[in-house]
Amino acid sequence: MPNAIVAAGLSKTYDVKVREPGIAGALAALARPRYRQVRAVQDVSFSIESGDAVAFLGPNGAGKTTTLKMLTGLLFPSGGSAQVAGCDPWTGGNAFRRRIAFVLGNKQQLLWDLPPEETFRLNRAIYGVSAADFASRRSELVTLLALGEIVDKPTRQLSLGERMKCELAAALLHQPEVLFLDEPTLGLDLEAQQTIRDFLGTYRERHGATILLTSHYMADVTALASRVLIINRGRLLYDGELAALVARIAPIKRIELVLSEPASRSRLAEYGTVAHYAPPSATLEVPRETATAASARLLADLAVADLSIQDPPIEEVIRIAFGEGENG
Amino acid sequence: MASASAARTIATWREQYAELMRSAFLVDLQYRASIVIWLIWGITEPIISLGIWWSIAAGGAVDGYTQGAFARYFFGVALVNQATLSWDAWNIDRWIREGEMNYRLTRPIAPIHEAVADNIAYKAPTSMIILMVWIVAAAFWPAVRIPFEPGRWALAIVAIVLAAAIRFLNGYATGLLAFWTTRATALVELHYGLSLFLSGRIAPLSLLPPGVVHVAQYLWFPYMLSFPVEVLTGSVTTTAQYARGFAGQIVWLAIWMSIYLLVWKRGRRRYGAVGG
Repeated sequence: MPNAIVAAGLSKTYDVKVREPGIAGALAALARPRYRQVRAVQDVSFSIESGDAVAFLGPNGAGKTTTLKMLTGLLFPSGGSAQVAGCDPWTGGNAFRRRIAFVLGNKQQLLWDLPPEETFRLNRAIYGVSAADFASRRSELVTLLALGEIVDKPTRQLSLGERMKCELAAALLHQPEVLFLDEPTLGLDLEAQQTIRDFLGTYRERHGATILLTSHYMADVTALASRVLIINRGRLLYDGELAALVARIAPIKRIELVLSEPASRSRLAEYGTVAHYAPPSATLEVPRETATAASARLLADLAVADLSIQDPPIEEVIRIAFGEGENG
Repeated sequence: MASASAARTIATWREQYAELMRSAFLVDLQYRASIVIWLIWGITEPIISLGIWWSIAAGGAVDGYTQGAFARYFFGVALVNQATLSWDAWNIDRWIREGEMNYRLTRPIAPIHEAVADNIAYKAPTSMIILMVWIVAAAFWPAVRIPFEPGRWALAIVAIVLAAAIRFLNGYATGLLAFWTTRATALVELHYGLSLFLSGRIAPLSLLPPGVVHVAQYLWFPYMLSFPVEVLTGSVTTTAQYARGFAGQIVWLAIWMSIYLLVWKRGRRRYGAVGG
């Protein structure tokens, strides 16, 4: 498959004015402004094959959104180059812009005072979508996102979840090849988050769109992307399969038990590290490669009502990965 | 081939503008009460100026301006001002500061086109309202009637459109300074203050001190208001006056267009909202 996104040594450095607090500081900054260079993104390289979905993870201020803004042509890089949907984002012009969409979870493009249908109409004209394509795409998006009831209501009367669904529909009417999503489920309730995830998965399968998303919700990541890019302090720390990251960072499995007859903490410790003990429930951590054997022994030796083997929570894995970057 | 491609481009633009103006007009309709207040505010200033000059001219014409001439002049100011208003600097300032520029920059149309469409959608109908008020007033008040000269009116329309374009580009380019500074709108306020005198808003230019008139004629201010008002009300009469006025408008339009293009190109590279 050809690459839909290639970033090669992307860097972005900002000059930020330094100002001491208080009136004296403000006056000093006025008389002799001082600037500090902030390296928001440093030498970031990766490529994403056409049709793949990749999640960009990192704490606040790590450089995720800055990278997305560079790849969408919004920000000019201080160094490096990129190709997105076969175009250079900074010189590709309108031909490039017709091939991508950028959805920001905290900013909307929907016309606030008018129903979403009006934004759809406007985007049809702006992106030059033919009437026939518009009719079929609109109908598909309205069905997949269950927008039937809401497209005619003024946007300002819609809930956050309804607005995000309409926002996605408006961004996809021109059927972009590459979809950039910055926190698409930010602030949504669990049901709305799930709807958005299901929709994005279905849409990608149907249309082969490439997706690069950032999210703080691990459920978004595990549902949509098998590959993750981890960035912290502007540097790319990890690029690979989510499962491989989990195996590398946390080479353990968790065995969650419910016992039908009590067993002491020390008895359980014979099988692994007791991470949680609240009879009749307990959680044991065991090396990944011995998880199956340990489970079999537990089932044979103890009165077990229920047993499940799980990976450690992904949030914890990611937190450890961020920490590694900070220390290294 | 080339003509087919040009026809397609024109068709695309027409469609984009039609939709942009339609949505802008629908948004304006949501704010109709505010628009009435802005309209009243817009005519308040020329009415106050007229009131002052009316009483001054009660004792006789001031430098050739009778009471009736002042009335026609300030009705003209109200109409041309409405057709050439500029608020874009505040919009752009907000777009840039609050991140609303982001999605505009990822669409296959430059943000200025949205602003142009927004201007047309607002100014065309509201200027018609001012014109209707003028027509109704003229039915009862002979002083504000202007001579029936369709040729002059056609030239006045051209002058008003050029004035609107100069004032728009001036406001838009100044607003784009928000790429560098948070004080862009303060510059617009300063510009407004100067334009009160130099564009003929509070008095016909010929009544200002000769020094001010001298400075004004080398700047863009008179071409944004005074010239179209004088064409409309009949103060511009000779071919030389017309030629000088339109040439001034075209030169300043080209200058402000160049400034806009320069600021836009530089500002785009400068744009860098930190986040994420």
